Amino acid sequence: MKISINIKRLLFLMGTCLLASCESFLEVDVPDDKMVTETVFASDETAESAMQGIYYQLFNATFSGGTTSSISVLGGLSADLLQPVTSNNAFLVEFSENEIFTENTGVLAIWRSTYNIVYLANNLLEGIENSTGISEPVRDRLEGEALFIRAFCHFYLVNLYGDVPLVLSTDYDKNSLIPRTETSQVYEQIILDLERAREVLDEDYINNERYYVNRYAATALLARVNLYQENWNQAEELSSEVIDASSLYSLPSLNEVFLANSSEAIWQISPAGRGNILTSTNEGYTFIGSSSTSIKLNPEFVSTLDSSDLRSTSWIGHFSNENYEYDFVHKYKDRSSINNITEYATVLRLGEQYLIRAEARANLGNISGAIDDISKIRERAGIDSTSDIDPNLNLSEIMDLVMKERAKELFAEWGHRWLDLKRLENATEVLGETPTWQETDVLYPIPAEERSKNPNLGQNPGY
Amino acid sequence: MKNNYSRLKWVALIILGGILFFLSKAANAAPTTPLFQQQQEVSGIVTDTNGLPIPGVSIIVKNTTRGVVTNLDGEYSIPAAPGDTLVFSYLGFKPVEIVLQQQQQVNVEMEEDISALGEVEINAGYYNTTERERTGSIARVTSEDIELQPIVNPIQALQGRMAGVEITQRGGAPGMAPKIRIRGQNSLRDTQNDNGNLPLYIIDGVPINSAPIPSYTVDISNTGIDPLNTIGLSNIASIEILKDADATAIYGSRGANGVVLITTKRGYAKKTAVSARYYSGMGQASRKMDLLNTQEYISIREQAFENDGVEPIVSNAFDLLVWDRDRYTDWQKDFFGGTAEIQNAQLSVSGGNKNTSLRLGSGYHKEGTVYPGDLDYQKVTTSLQVNHTSDNGKFNMDISLNYGADTNNFLHSLNSSLVSTAVNLPPNAPSIYNEDGTLNWEDWEAGNRTNPLAGLYNTSTTKSENLLANAGLFYELMKGLRLRANLGYTNYNSDELLKMPKRSYNPENWGSVSARSINSIVGRKSWLAEPQLIFNKQFGQNELDVLIGATFQQNSDSRITMSGYGYSAEAQIGNLMVAEDVIVNTDRTIDYRYNALFARIGYNWEKKLFLNLTARRDGSSRFGSNKRFANFGAVGAAWIFSEENFISDNLTFLSFGKLRGSFGTTGNDQIGDYGYLDAYESTQAPGGLIPIQLTNPNYSWEENRKIEAAISLGFFEDKLNTEVSWYRNRSSNQLVGFPLPSTTGFNTILANLPATVQNTGWEFVFTSRNISTRDFNWRTSFNISFPRNKLLEFPDIEQTAYANIYRIGEPLNINLLYRYIGIDPETGLYSVADINNDGSFDYQDRTVVRNNGRNYFGGIDNTFIYKNFSAQFLWEFVKQKGRSAFFQTGNVGNIVNQLQGVADSNNLQVPSQTTLAGRQYTLASNSSLTTTDASFLRLKTFSVAYNFPQVFTQRIGSTNGRIFLNGQNLLTFTPYKGLDPQDIGTYLPVLRTVTTGIELTF
Repeated sequence: MKISINIKRLLFLMGTCLLASCESFLEVDVPDDKMVTETVFASDETAESAMQGIYYQLFNATFSGGTTSSISVLGGLSADLLQPVTSNNAFLVEFSENEIFTENTGVLAIWRSTYNIVYLANNLLEGIENSTGISEPVRDRLEGEALFIRAFCHFYLVNLYGDVPLVLSTDYDKNSLIPRTETSQVYEQIILDLERAREVLDEDYINNERYYVNRYAATALLARVNLYQENWNQAEELSSEVIDASSLYSLPSLNEVFLANSSEAIWQISPAGRGNILTSTNEGYTFIGSSSTSIKLNPEFVSTLDSSDLRSTSWIGHFSNENYEYDFVHKYKDRSSINNITEYATVLRLGEQYLIRAEARANLGNISGAIDDISKIRERAGIDSTSDIDPNLNLSEIMDLVMKERAKELFAEWGHRWLDLKRLENATEVLGETPTWQETDVLYPIPAEERSKNPNLGQNPGY
Repeated sequence: MKNNYSRLKWVALIILGGILFFLSKAANAAPTTPLFQQQQEVSGIVTDTNGLPIPGVSIIVKNTTRGVVTNLDGEYSIPAAPGDTLVFSYLGFKPVEIVLQQQQQVNVEMEEDISALGEVEINAGYYNTTERERTGSIARVTSEDIELQPIVNPIQALQGRMAGVEITQRGGAPGMAPKIRIRGQNSLRDTQNDNGNLPLYIIDGVPINSAPIPSYTVDISNTGIDPLNTIGLSNIASIEILKDADATAIYGSRGANGVVLITTKRGYAKKTAVSARYYSGMGQASRKMDLLNTQEYISIREQAFENDGVEPIVSNAFDLLVWDRDRYTDWQKDFFGGTAEIQNAQLSVSGGNKNTSLRLGSGYHKEGTVYPGDLDYQKVTTSLQVNHTSDNGKFNMDISLNYGADTNNFLHSLNSSLVSTAVNLPPNAPSIYNEDGTLNWEDWEAGNRTNPLAGLYNTSTTKSENLLANAGLFYELMKGLRLRANLGYTNYNSDELLKMPKRSYNPENWGSVSARSINSIVGRKSWLAEPQLIFNKQFGQNELDVLIGATFQQNSDSRITMSGYGYSAEAQIGNLMVAEDVIVNTDRTIDYRYNALFARIGYNWEKKLFLNLTARRDGSSRFGSNKRFANFGAVGAAWIFSEENFISDNLTFLSFGKLRGSFGTTGNDQIGDYGYLDAYESTQAPGGLIPIQLTNPNYSWEENRKIEAAISLGFFEDKLNTEVSWYRNRSSNQLVGFPLPSTTGFNTILANLPATVQNTGWEFVFTSRNISTRDFNWRTSFNISFPRNKLLEFPDIEQTAYANIYRIGEPLNINLLYRYIGIDPETGLYSVADINNDGSFDYQDRTVVRNNGRNYFGGIDNTFIYKNFSAQFLWEFVKQKGRSAFFQTGNVGNIVNQLQGVADSNNLQVPSQTTLAGRQYTLASNSSLTTTDASFLRLKTFSVAYNFPQVFTQRIGSTNGRIFLNGQNLLTFTPYKGLDPQDIGTYLPVLRTVTTGIELTF
């Protein structure tokens, strides 16, 4: 019958069409808010966007974002600079009493957010390595920026936690069982990354925006790394390189230090990364006194600043209401705003480079040079130091001076004080009065949750 | 791949076009070349045993799609050939089969059949079955039970009517998406944004994306808006819910959570009829909390200060020292005590002849709210159904178009919802308004509070439009072999605009706030093509039904969300052009493609033994290329043992008996799109790209194995019918975030874990015709379900985000609680057990598990018909535990109002505001003390109607008419002291509504 032949033909057509085509029918286009990794690294523009994403993410990441769980706050609590306003917030109290439990959410948040940024940097490094569509200069620059970020993250990890997993790839099978690497090896990698970054990065800032990493940012961080490693010569040399770039960097007045793209800033993080209309830094919101502020300055530290020291008025504010009265960190002036961005969160700045060089010079026996550098900082704060400092100080006296100046200058910035106490082995001397202090407290615990997920992670002593 | 696909689309279109062309050619050509025997016109009249004509009897030529319906005078006419069998069927009557000789006049007398429900066709999705013959578990509700209910969402109408179907109306605001669980929660992912527990919805054969539309409005953000709202209730003919493997496996990877089939009304081949209906009425919140008055409140507050030995000062006792101590406001009355007016109008026209029938139905529904201000919900729906059969009866075309548009105006309170504010506010809090009608800021400011109605000037308007188009095309290739194409298109758009003017804020803060808007646009489009081949063959006592088909489906879902800030003029809020800043929060389009082959073989022997095999091979773009395809299938069988002689001879009281059972596998592909893709996403800030997750190219479906056994019995000529079912569903291969250490960059990776969730249960359904006489009828139906839900296994749950949410061996809907010890006699404060004696209270001490799920639930429906009067009562009942209302306000002694009885209760701690009291309160509010009986019995629907006598209707030229009154949620009995026991918490209780109306048919 004619009809049945037609049916057969039709069925055959239907069948073959179905069987042959299922696979390709199910292929869908990538949605327009996503971009396949391969495509991201197929052109200069999109690869640069991936780097831009990392800069943005640094603002949103806990360890670097300037919120109450950031290194600036928790490091300050661990040291003798900051205190919680009330004792209600257990996780802050644990830091200020140096009695941190392995379940502490702050310890976990710093660990997590830092390794997330390490992943982003590694992902970008792998992306540009496998790509053929990126031009040579852009590839170099991106490599330098990502290596800097990776080194920066590992620097804080190794300083806060001691031996830490050194993560150099995005392979999650491998990274989920990765053991801790010895501190010295982590430092070796940090130096390797920063040296390569110095090779490939330009001196200038892209669009004159200092939230981009340039060569001097890598130099400045490398100077700090060498200081921590007590490579005094390199530390002096590298910090001098930054200080000598006077067309880019200078010491402005105290109220201008933390402004966006201030002449002192070597590397900053822009609130633009937040991605909404709020334009202020989190540091401003976290520190500036209000009824909801949870962090204040340690009154003992405040009392070390003379009233003639302009930093005691420019960088410290006073808050009082019916319940509380305290001094607060007032380096950032903008607590919350929706207008234009006026301030960037400053990570690396020229002031620190002077203090690095002062310390390096002191250790190299160049006492007058060290005093010159300290004076630069003190002069800006309105202290006439030429008559103030005895030029015949010995090393320990001048180191004492450097340390005091570092505290006054860099307080509430990036845990400087905490890391200084630790590297100079002063922590017990300074914090020993805290009843819960133990020598092993200089390292934070490896978060319990991480250890339960990765059996190869050991714990620090004392936890 | 784009190219491949478009080529494929053309191939598919050409084939479909070819089918259509072929069909139309054949349809036209066929009559001139009769294939079998000469067709002739057969006509007649159908009457009941009293000789009265029965309109609406369906007459089908057996084993064909040819069919007509008797007109109002019981007359029909149908083309048929000698030897054909005419099947006469009508609800409530025994079917009649007549084999045609040469006669052209066939008059039929139909006998009333109390068991005739068995012959009603049930939609099983790709095929139809009957109550008598079904092998699967299918529950059904028809238009009579749905259309008069003054509700917005069709799913709400099912509450209490179906065994195993748990429906919670989550709040009394119109349009909120109800929660539906068919035989329990299968997936661990149960949040609003990532929900693996939604059933598959199919409207007239077209699957739709039923996920609630997210809303920014505070008061409904926890549920979202249901896209089903735009379906007209009066256009629905029936809703079937498919529950077991036998019924759902043909839906493969989408059937795990059950399938909801909505069928719209069709026209009939009878004379044109116009039907009009109007009802109106009003609704109020069905429950309020019984709270303290000012005097009682103040006495408790003063007691707290006394207990604590603290002197009240302005900063801690503004309610006592600043606010008026004599003032009393019933905030519940002010904030949600309003009356919602409801109006509904329907008009439908239907008619047709033996070839073509059509129905056009339009409706308008308007519903106010119980909130203050001028808010309402409005919808307009229109549906058009056309059915055409060619003269030779070989070609049939069934078109349905459903269009709905609605507008929902909501309040957007600034902080918490108005309902929770109302139950928390001290009764002596100051007035909301100044004398001039503006918002009162000053008096509230004095108490360090914000006027709770601050959001009154905020408006949220959500406009939705929904088009559902479906075409079903049949062609009978030869006797017993039919070709079918099911084609569908859906287009849903929703646009929410939230406006927040400065007026909503305290003028003091105007310097730091910005007038703003949020605009959220959701679009969902899909097309579907399902070519099918259907074969039917009878040989001897055997009958075989075979169906094979394929599905091609594409969905495209888009969402854009934009915020505008800094509007200078209130009138311009929402126009992004005049906003100072515009931020695009979301802009994404998601494509989903789905492809399947499916088949069903239905076999029966002597209409006694039934076997039903279904299978589906599914492919979905949601999965990585390694896991694109999977196979699903089920076996169902039924044995009507009452047909066996040894039963019918010996057990004469047993008029019907059937054993049935099924087992099979379905899947769950509700897992979000593109999860396998190694990709970067745009950052919130402009110009950045960032990877946001680790990608696992191997992730795949959640798998759901279902097994069911059931027995159906009819007694005393089916006056009493009952069905008892037992089921067990195990959902494994759960797709969850697998924990990873952060050194990998992230904490989790989406992966299928061997975690298993089990749902078991018993369902009982009884229907009985208690009294059935000419003047008086009384019918009762009763259903009750005993669900049990359990997390069977979950390896390494301790390391996942689910560690403190679920417990192995326990149901999913639980709270982990401290063990409450009692009131500490020394302090007068609550105390809970420190199980591990470590001095701190954490999840390790939370050893008491409270199951918040239902122990059992069901409904009892009684219908009485006396002459022209009818009345129906539907009671819904639920046995469950929940969180006590005493812990929904706050610590006794704080500046929050309390439930009545708080002063006399010995179980509550003394009024105190100390830190310790606060801490103990918090511990106790997470302890076993909070567990209370939250069961309820509710008169869900009550309706009475009066059918106009014919003498009256004839006088006004009408054929039929009635007036009716409908009440919803009129009575609720519960020991629960909070708002609505149905959805525990401080949400707007469902409305108690009464509507009256009239319906006339011409």
